[in-house]
Amino acid sequence: MLKGHLDMIVLAALAAGPAHGYAVIQEIHRRSGGAFDLPEGTVYPALHRLEQAGLLGSRWTTGDTGRQRRVYALTKRGTRALAKHREVWQRFADAIGGLIGQASHATAQPRL
Amino acid sequence: MQPPSLVSDYLERLTRALSFDAPLAHRVRREAEDHLLEALAGSPEGESPEAQRRALERFGDPRAIASQYAAQSLLRQTRRAGAIVILATAGVYLAMKGRASWYGLMQWGMSADLQAIAPVVIRFDFYAFILACALGIVGWAYISSRRVAPSFHPGCRAQLRRGRLLCAAAAAPLVASVLADVILTVLRLADAAVSPAALVPLLTQAIEVALVGVLVMRVRRIIRHADLAAALTSP
Repeated sequence: MLKGHLDMIVLAALAAGPAHGYAVIQEIHRRSGGAFDLPEGTVYPALHRLEQAGLLGSRWTTGDTGRQRRVYALTKRGTRALAKHREVWQRFADAIGGLIGQASHATAQPRL
Repeated sequence: MQPPSLVSDYLERLTRALSFDAPLAHRVRREAEDHLLEALAGSPEGESPEAQRRALERFGDPRAIASQYAAQSLLRQTRRAGAIVILATAGVYLAMKGRASWYGLMQWGMSADLQAIAPVVIRFDFYAFILACALGIVGWAYISSRRVAPSFHPGCRAQLRRGRLLCAAAAAPLVASVLADVILTVLRLADAAVSPAALVPLLTQAIEVALVGVLVMRVRRIIRHADLAAALTSP
């Protein structure tokens, strides 16, 4: 299930600003409270796919350690796609919440 | 800075797994190296073998990671091959037309021997070229309309295989068409006196041969890369 939402998760992790792959993983861990335990390497194909789709831009920079690293940032299209993902997700979450809430409510009522 | 040994071995395996796309392999290797060194720098055990093993385990299986790039990379390569089919076909057409116009301009007639076989070769050339055009357009339209699959699943592999087949199927009659042109040009020039005017047919013919050469190499390359990527899905 998580795999199906990986693109949205990566876009959301980059919403705060440009970051390299390792920082994206750290951000996903931090914001999910460690709930998402994907193999770290899987974030790079997602970053690459999103870049090819025009949702992310990237460039090589030199880090504090002197190592070259690729930094990714949301493009305008990426920002719009994230907003759309959020909207769809919110509707989905509301619908599921409503259903589960109703079901719990229904089962909680004893039939007389 | 040289990465520690386990990380180096891992990066080698990752690069080999991505051998279906050399520029991508280079880029992913650099990113993975930075990631793993960053992870080790944050580890209390530093670059100890145990810390390296844990970092590599967290990063994931190199073949599994490489296979996640395969769908997109092979689609891009096949689309490029489809575009080259169209460009090569257009280039061959222009070269053929240019040569025919030059023959007309120079009033370069055919010898009696050539007149005997020319209609058959020209008809073969015509139908082979039309077939190449039709298959090229169908192949290009097909592969351009495919969407990038999120994973290298069997459906995605089947689509890419169809795209490759259409590219190869378009390349074959185009090669046959150019071979027919070569035969006609050689027969024409064999009967003609040596003159600078012969440079135009020779040059246009060389362009045709170069175009189909590039196309055949491109098709062979996508087939080889697809085989390398397919190996990632086998146990």
